[in-house]
Amino acid sequence: MKLKLTIQGKEYEIEIEQIDREKTKIKIGDKEFLFEEKKGNKEKTLVPQTSLPKRNFSKKEIKAPIAGTISEIFIKKGDFIKKGTKVILLSAMKMENEIISESEGNVKEIMVKINQKVKEGETLIVLD
Amino acid sequence: MRIKKYTEVPSTNALAKKTKPRSWTVIWAEKQTSGYGRKKDYWFSPKGGLYFTIILPKSKIEDLQTLNILAAFITAKVIKESFKLEPFIKLPNDVYVNHRKIAGILTETVIGSDVKFSIMGIGLNTNIEKFPKELENTATSLKIELGRKVDNEKILKQIVTELKEQLKTISE
Repeated sequence: MKLKLTIQGKEYEIEIEQIDREKTKIKIGDKEFLFEEKKGNKEKTLVPQTSLPKRNFSKKEIKAPIAGTISEIFIKKGDFIKKGTKVILLSAMKMENEIISESEGNVKEIMVKINQKVKEGETLIVLD
Repeated sequence: MRIKKYTEVPSTNALAKKTKPRSWTVIWAEKQTSGYGRKKDYWFSPKGGLYFTIILPKSKIEDLQTLNILAAFITAKVIKESFKLEPFIKLPNDVYVNHRKIAGILTETVIGSDVKFSIMGIGLNTNIEKFPKELENTATSLKIELGRKVDNEKILKQIVTELKEQLKTISE
Protein backbone atom coordinates (compact mmCIF):
# COMPACT_ATOMS: atom_id res chain seq x y z
CA MET A 1 0.00 0.00 0.00
CA LYS A 2 1.38 3.39 -0.97
CA LEU A 3 0.42 6.64 0.74
CA LYS A 4 1.34 10.27 0.30
CA LEU A 5 1.41 12.45 3.41
CA THR A 6 2.09 16.14 3.71
CA ILE A 7 3.51 17.16 7.07
CA GLN A 8 4.25 20.85 7.59
CA GLY A 9 4.39 21.45 3.88
CA LYS A 10 6.79 18.55 3.17
CA GLU A 11 5.52 15.63 1.18
CA TYR A 12 6.39 12.09 2.27
CA GLU A 13 5.87 8.93 0.25
CA ILE A 14 5.04 6.04 2.51
CA GLU A 15 4.96 2.42 1.42
CA ILE A 16 3.58 -0.25 3.73
CA GLU A 17 4.30 -3.87 2.90
CA GLN A 18 3.13 -6.91 4.85
CA ILE A 19 6.02 -9.34 4.49
CA ASP A 20 4.39 -12.17 6.43
CA ARG A 21 1.98 -12.57 9.37
CA GLU A 22 4.51 -11.12 11.80
CA LYS A 23 6.58 -8.70 9.80
CA THR A 24 5.63 -5.38 8.24
CA LYS A 25 7.98 -3.20 6.28
CA ILE A 26 7.34 0.55 6.18
CA LYS A 27 9.30 2.66 3.75
CA ILE A 28 9.32 6.43 4.26
CA GLY A 29 11.12 8.14 1.41
CA ASP A 30 14.33 6.15 1.05
CA LYS A 31 14.35 4.88 4.66
CA GLU A 32 13.02 1.46 5.56
CA PHE A 33 11.69 0.30 8.91
CA LEU A 34 10.85 -3.26 9.78
CA PHE A 35 8.19 -3.96 12.40
CA GLU A 36 8.06 -7.41 13.90
CA GLU A 37 5.37 -8.81 16.17
CA LYS A 38 6.69 -10.81 19.09
CA LYS A 39 5.14 -14.21 19.50
CA GLY A 40 3.03 -14.64 22.64
CA ASN A 41 2.17 -10.97 23.08
CA LYS A 42 1.03 -8.09 20.93
CA GLU A 43 3.94 -5.79 21.61
CA LYS A 44 5.53 -4.44 18.46
CA THR A 45 9.27 -4.13 18.23
CA LEU A 46 11.05 -1.97 15.81
CA VAL A 47 14.06 -3.28 13.98
CA PRO A 48 15.77 -0.30 12.43
CA GLN A 49 17.12 -0.71 8.93
CA THR A 50 18.58 2.76 8.79
CA SER A 51 17.64 5.04 11.68
CA LEU A 52 14.77 5.31 14.09
CA PRO A 53 12.23 8.06 13.56
CA LYS A 54 12.30 10.44 16.52
CA ARG A 55 8.58 11.07 16.45
CA ASN A 56 5.97 8.60 17.54
CA PHE A 57 3.42 8.86 14.74
CA SER A 58 0.62 7.26 16.76
CA LYS A 59 0.72 10.01 19.39
CA LYS A 60 -2.03 12.63 19.28
CA GLU A 61 -0.43 16.02 19.62
CA ILE A 62 -1.78 19.54 19.55
CA LYS A 63 0.73 21.84 17.93
CA ALA A 64 1.11 25.61 17.72
CA PRO A 65 -0.40 26.75 14.40
CA ILE A 66 1.68 29.94 14.57
CA ALA A 67 4.54 31.28 16.64
CA GLY A 68 3.44 33.20 19.71
CA THR A 69 3.22 33.36 23.48
CA ILE A 70 1.10 31.12 25.68
CA SER A 71 -1.37 33.39 27.49
CA GLU A 72 -3.70 30.90 29.08
CA ILE A 73 -4.00 27.13 29.52
CA PHE A 74 -7.59 25.97 29.88
CA ILE A 75 -6.99 22.30 30.66
CA LYS A 76 -4.90 20.25 33.07
CA LYS A 77 -3.06 16.95 32.97
CA GLY A 78 -5.47 14.02 33.14
CA ASP A 79 -8.47 15.94 31.76
CA PHE A 80 -10.53 14.20 29.14
CA ILE A 81 -11.03 16.51 26.20
CA LYS A 82 -13.36 16.26 23.25
CA LYS A 83 -12.92 17.48 19.71
CA GLY A 84 -13.48 21.24 19.73
CA THR A 85 -12.42 21.77 23.36
CA LYS A 86 -10.61 25.06 23.91
CA VAL A 87 -7.16 24.12 25.23
CA ILE A 88 -4.80 27.08 24.97
CA LEU A 89 -4.86 30.82 24.34
CA LEU A 90 -1.92 31.74 22.14
CA SER A 91 -1.14 35.42 21.60
CA ALA A 92 0.59 36.37 18.39
CA MET A 93 0.97 39.80 16.82
CA LYS A 94 -1.46 41.05 19.49
CA MET A 95 -4.07 38.63 18.17
CA GLU A 96 -5.65 36.25 20.64
CA ASN A 97 -5.93 32.74 19.24
CA GLU A 98 -7.96 30.07 20.96
CA ILE A 99 -6.45 26.73 20.08
CA ILE A 100 -9.00 23.93 20.01
CA SER A 101 -8.42 20.19 19.98
CA GLU A 102 -9.12 18.30 16.77
CA SER A 103 -9.22 14.94 18.53
CA GLU A 104 -10.42 13.51 21.82
CA GLY A 105 -8.44 11.88 24.56
CA ASN A 106 -6.88 12.31 27.97
CA VAL A 107 -4.31 15.03 28.45
CA LYS A 108 -1.09 13.09 28.92
CA GLU A 109 1.32 16.00 28.90
CA ILE A 110 1.18 19.79 28.76
CA MET A 111 4.45 20.76 27.13
CA VAL A 112 4.22 24.53 27.69
CA LYS A 113 3.83 27.08 30.47
CA ILE A 114 2.11 30.45 30.64
CA ASN A 115 4.20 33.26 29.08
CA GLN A 116 6.35 30.72 27.21
CA LYS A 117 7.20 31.64 23.65
CA VAL A 118 6.55 28.87 21.14
CA LYS A 119 7.49 28.31 17.53
CA GLU A 120 5.13 27.30 14.77
CA GLY A 121 4.67 23.53 14.82
CA GLU A 122 5.88 23.14 18.39
CA THR A 123 3.98 20.53 20.40
CA LEU A 124 1.75 22.12 23.04
CA ILE A 125 -0.22 19.16 24.35
CA VAL A 126 0.07 15.40 24.08
CA LEU A 127 -3.08 13.29 24.32
CA ASP A 128 -3.41 9.61 25.15
CA MET B 1 -22.89 45.13 4.89
CA ARG B 2 -25.11 43.58 7.55
CA ILE B 3 -25.13 45.68 10.68
CA LYS B 4 -26.73 44.47 13.89
CA LYS B 5 -27.10 47.42 16.19
CA TYR B 6 -27.62 47.15 19.94
CA THR B 7 -28.15 49.87 22.53
CA GLU B 8 -26.11 47.99 25.11
CA VAL B 9 -24.18 44.71 25.24
CA PRO B 10 -21.57 43.34 27.63
CA SER B 11 -19.03 43.19 24.76
CA THR B 12 -19.43 43.12 20.98
CA ASN B 13 -16.57 40.59 20.67
CA ALA B 14 -18.12 38.33 23.32
CA LEU B 15 -21.52 38.53 21.61
CA ALA B 16 -19.94 37.70 18.24
CA LYS B 17 -18.16 34.66 19.70
CA LYS B 18 -21.39 33.48 21.31
CA THR B 19 -23.74 33.97 18.35
CA LYS B 20 -21.27 33.30 15.50
CA PRO B 21 -23.11 35.21 12.76
CA ARG B 22 -22.03 34.86 9.14
CA SER B 23 -18.98 36.65 7.81
CA TRP B 24 -18.96 40.39 7.30
CA THR B 25 -21.80 40.81 9.80
CA VAL B 26 -21.02 43.80 11.99
CA ILE B 27 -22.14 43.84 15.61
CA TRP B 28 -22.37 47.45 16.73
CA ALA B 29 -23.22 48.61 20.24
CA GLU B 30 -23.85 52.12 21.52
CA LYS B 31 -22.46 51.08 24.87
CA GLN B 32 -20.51 48.11 26.29
CA THR B 33 -20.81 47.19 29.93
CA SER B 34 -17.79 44.84 29.92
CA GLY B 35 -15.77 46.02 26.93
CA TYR B 36 -12.33 44.47 26.86
CA GLY B 37 -9.03 44.62 25.05
CA ARG B 38 -6.11 42.24 25.03
CA LYS B 39 -5.57 40.10 28.11
CA LYS B 40 -9.13 41.05 29.05
CA ASP B 41 -8.01 44.60 29.88
CA TYR B 42 -11.00 46.84 30.48
CA TRP B 43 -12.02 49.09 27.57
CA PHE B 44 -13.92 52.23 28.66
CA SER B 45 -17.12 52.01 26.59
CA PRO B 46 -19.75 54.60 27.53
CA LYS B 47 -22.50 55.84 25.21
CA GLY B 48 -21.03 58.12 22.57
CA GLY B 49 -18.07 55.95 21.58
CA LEU B 50 -17.96 53.59 18.62
CA TYR B 51 -17.72 49.87 19.46
CA PHE B 52 -18.12 47.21 16.83
CA THR B 53 -17.02 43.71 15.88
CA ILE B 54 -16.64 42.42 12.36
CA ILE B 55 -17.04 38.71 11.69
CA LEU B 56 -14.20 37.96 9.31
CA PRO B 57 -14.43 35.39 6.54
CA LYS B 58 -12.38 32.21 6.83
CA SER B 59 -8.84 33.25 6.05
CA LYS B 60 -5.33 31.99 6.42
CA ILE B 61 -3.80 32.86 9.78
CA GLU B 62 -1.06 34.89 8.04
CA ASP B 63 -3.71 36.99 6.32
CA LEU B 64 -5.43 37.62 9.64
CA GLN B 65 -2.18 38.83 11.16
CA THR B 66 -1.72 41.24 8.28
CA LEU B 67 -5.33 42.35 8.56
CA ASN B 68 -4.89 43.08 12.26
CA ILE B 69 -2.13 45.55 11.43
CA LEU B 70 -4.02 46.93 8.44
CA ALA B 71 -7.04 47.65 10.66
CA ALA B 72 -4.91 50.06 12.70
CA PHE B 73 -3.74 51.77 9.49
CA ILE B 74 -7.30 52.01 8.16
CA THR B 75 -8.63 53.45 11.42
CA ALA B 76 -5.78 55.97 11.44
CA LYS B 77 -6.41 56.82 7.79
CA VAL B 78 -10.09 57.53 8.44
CA ILE B 79 -9.15 59.76 11.39
CA LYS B 80 -6.56 61.62 9.30
CA GLU B 81 -8.56 62.06 6.11
CA SER B 82 -11.97 62.76 7.62
CA PHE B 83 -10.90 64.96 10.49
CA LYS B 84 -7.48 66.31 9.51
CA LEU B 85 -5.90 65.02 12.71
CA GLU B 86 -2.40 63.49 12.91
CA PRO B 87 -2.83 59.95 14.24
CA PHE B 88 0.07 57.84 15.37
CA ILE B 89 -0.06 54.05 15.09
CA LYS B 90 1.43 52.03 17.87
CA LEU B 91 1.96 48.75 16.07
CA PRO B 92 0.28 46.49 15.68
CA ASN B 93 -3.10 47.57 16.97
CA ASP B 94 -3.44 50.89 18.79
CA VAL B 95 -4.03 54.37 17.41
CA TYR B 96 -3.02 57.53 19.23
CA VAL B 97 -3.76 61.21 18.69
CA ASN B 98 -1.70 63.81 20.55
CA HIS B 99 0.04 61.04 22.53
CA ARG B 100 -3.25 59.69 23.85
CA LYS B 101 -4.97 56.49 22.84
CA ILE B 102 -8.01 57.00 20.63
CA ALA B 103 -8.61 53.50 19.23
CA GLY B 104 -7.80 49.88 19.92
CA ILE B 105 -8.25 46.71 17.91
CA LEU B 106 -8.65 43.19 19.21
CA THR B 107 -8.66 40.29 16.77
CA GLU B 108 -9.65 36.92 18.18
CA THR B 109 -9.55 33.61 16.37
CA VAL B 110 -10.45 30.00 17.02
CA ILE B 111 -7.94 27.62 15.42
CA GLY B 112 -7.88 23.85 15.10
CA SER B 113 -6.25 22.32 12.04
CA ASP B 114 -7.26 25.56 10.30
CA VAL B 115 -8.90 28.86 11.22
CA LYS B 116 -12.46 28.08 12.35
CA PHE B 117 -13.73 31.51 13.27
CA SER B 118 -12.26 34.99 13.49
CA ILE B 119 -13.51 38.34 14.61
CA MET B 120 -12.11 41.83 14.80
CA GLY B 121 -13.29 44.20 17.49
CA ILE B 122 -12.64 47.91 17.12
CA GLY B 123 -13.15 50.48 19.84
CA LEU B 124 -12.88 54.09 18.74
CA ASN B 125 -13.33 56.97 21.14
CA THR B 126 -15.58 59.20 19.10
CA ASN B 127 -18.17 61.27 20.98
CA ILE B 128 -16.78 60.79 24.48
CA GLU B 129 -16.66 64.10 26.32
CA LYS B 130 -14.81 63.08 29.43
CA PHE B 131 -12.71 60.16 30.64
CA PRO B 132 -12.45 58.94 34.21
CA LYS B 133 -9.47 60.21 36.21
CA GLU B 134 -7.35 57.08 35.64
CA LEU B 135 -7.62 57.51 31.85
CA GLU B 136 -7.57 61.32 31.61
CA ASN B 137 -3.89 61.51 30.71
CA THR B 138 -3.73 58.45 28.47
CA ALA B 139 -6.96 58.53 26.43
CA THR B 140 -8.60 61.01 24.10
CA SER B 141 -11.60 61.15 21.76
CA LEU B 142 -12.49 62.77 18.46
CA LYS B 143 -14.95 65.02 20.33
CA ILE B 144 -12.19 66.24 22.66
CA GLU B 145 -9.75 66.78 19.78
CA LEU B 146 -12.23 68.42 17.38
CA GLY B 147 -14.63 70.11 19.76
CA ARG B 148 -17.59 68.70 17.85
CA LYS B 149 -19.64 65.54 17.40
CA VAL B 150 -18.87 63.03 14.65
CA ASP B 151 -21.07 60.54 12.79
CA ASN B 152 -20.41 57.07 14.26
CA GLU B 153 -22.26 55.18 11.52
CA LYS B 154 -20.34 56.91 8.75
CA ILE B 155 -16.99 56.09 10.39
CA LEU B 156 -18.01 52.46 10.96
CA LYS B 157 -18.98 52.02 7.30
CA GLN B 158 -15.76 53.66 6.08
CA ILE B 159 -13.62 51.31 8.19
CA VAL B 160 -15.51 48.12 7.28
CA THR B 161 -15.61 48.95 3.54
CA GLU B 162 -11.87 49.59 3.47
CA LEU B 163 -11.09 46.43 5.47
CA LYS B 164 -13.12 44.37 3.03
CA GLU B 165 -11.13 45.81 0.15
CA GLN B 166 -7.82 45.13 1.89
CA LEU B 167 -8.70 41.53 2.72
CA LYS B 168 -9.52 40.94 -0.92
CA THR B 169 -6.05 42.20 -1.84
CA ILE B 170 -4.06 40.20 0.69
CA SER B 171 -6.00 36.97 0.14
CA GLU B 172 -5.35 37.00 -3.60
